[in-house]
Amino acid sequence: MTGWRKADWLTRSGLVCLAVLVLVTVVGTVFGIGGDPDAMVGPRLAPPGGEFLLGTDELGRSMLPRLFEGIGTTLLLSTVAVLVTAVLATLLGVAAGYYGGWLGEVVLRLVEVLYSFPTIVLAILVAAVVGPGQTATMCSIVLITIPLMTRVVRAAAVTVSERDYVTSAVISGAGWPRILVRHLLPNLSGTIAVQGTYALSVGILVEGGLSFLGFGVQPPQSSLGALIQQGSTYLLTAPWLVIVPGIVLIVAVLAINVFGDGLRDGLEPREARSLV
Amino acid sequence: MILELDDVGVTFTGGPPWARTKVYAMKGVSLTLAEGEILGLVGESGSGKTTTSTVALGLRRPTSGSALFEGKPFPKRRKALAGRMQAVLQHPQWSLNPRMRVGHCVAEPLVVLGGTTKDEVTERVLATLGQVGLDASFAQRYPHQLSGGQRQRVSIARALVTRPPFVVFDEAVSALDVSVQAQILNLVKDLRAEFSFAALFISHDIGAVRYVADRVAVMRHGEVVETAPSAVFFGTPEHEYSRQLVEAL
Repeated sequence: MTGWRKADWLTRSGLVCLAVLVLVTVVGTVFGIGGDPDAMVGPRLAPPGGEFLLGTDELGRSMLPRLFEGIGTTLLLSTVAVLVTAVLATLLGVAAGYYGGWLGEVVLRLVEVLYSFPTIVLAILVAAVVGPGQTATMCSIVLITIPLMTRVVRAAAVTVSERDYVTSAVISGAGWPRILVRHLLPNLSGTIAVQGTYALSVGILVEGGLSFLGFGVQPPQSSLGALIQQGSTYLLTAPWLVIVPGIVLIVAVLAINVFGDGLRDGLEPREARSLV
Repeated sequence: MILELDDVGVTFTGGPPWARTKVYAMKGVSLTLAEGEILGLVGESGSGKTTTSTVALGLRRPTSGSALFEGKPFPKRRKALAGRMQAVLQHPQWSLNPRMRVGHCVAEPLVVLGGTTKDEVTERVLATLGQVGLDASFAQRYPHQLSGGQRQRVSIARALVTRPPFVVFDEAVSALDVSVQAQILNLVKDLRAEFSFAALFISHDIGAVRYVADRVAVMRHGEVVETAPSAVFFGTPEHEYSRQLVEAL
């Protein structure tokens, strides 16, 4: 646990917030705390407290299990999407950074085209092509997070490939698989992990935005964005419908960003800092 | 001959097609290196020393002229040269992969070469570490736990583990303290006496070159201005520039 001892209080609190959020969600979902998220069990728009800890929505569904399901959906979608991004961006970035040449140019130009689209416009475009739903949300997150990550991985790969130990390996006659697995990836893993945390927070925001616009997760399934969207109709009469998932969204994004900053300080050498 | 460079030129082009700029990194460089000989290559920064080393190692194809290693042109597939040539490079802090233990670093050329069992590799690695003056416990350490001189010793061990007939030392001692430099230079001399490899010893430090080299070549602006046996060179340098270098010693 040397990493934990080296981390400052901000990084630690970010990690703790994130862990608590995930733990509560997993426990809440697995043990079905608060009952069935889709069952209409109570009065409509009941305020928090008593039998329904976070109140009920416009159909009389208890908000607590819906919140558990919502956090679960959002985190799961974003995490899967970011893992896909990480794999693709690493392949593209290393190809562009290590091999360079025309392959690198093609990758860079493609990525720049993607980069030039405004986030939410790109997401709506994807939803229009794929059709609204979880697939559209995941595809959007991947397409939105891949440009930055590819560029950062490429920049890091360029730096690492110029180091003497890579040259030595080439002189020794090592093939590209060995150089990739033994030299490049271990020295890029820090950069990839740091970019992954940032991509995760972007992913959560994209899910929220897309579901809020109605192109993301479809009812009756809940997600943080979907909960906020459904609750926004009753903002004045039942503000808790928006406030609770809103706060969770903010906490999740903040915690991930703060943790990502700490991870960067710990993993990335100082001279690479300007790349981020 | 281990290495023959014949009238080698290397040109770097830059800029857009309508305003091409050309930099001549090497112009008509001819050098030969016999088995077991150490050729010192001196010259100021930007004189083309490192470009020469990349050509000698087959990492860069010359724009003009020919480069022969052991009498043959460099093969297309790098693997064919595995174990035949090695290099000790400039930066002690980046010469070793920070995520690999020293033992694995030194073993790499052997593993790439193949044909040895795991036990043989371990044995050879420990033996080679011993020959560069590091005990077996170093094999388990990571590069950040080593000093600059120790890292350069590890680099030398990695270069010699396959007993190559040709080694390039590219500014191998320049980043080290003077006392450590002397140790490493002595080590290079001792190891050469033991394994009789040929070496291209590149340095801007003419004192270091004088200490290890059998012959000296001086480069300036991409050209070799003088090549002579060490004794002759340091006694009666012919070229004006060589004379300045020797006088500054």
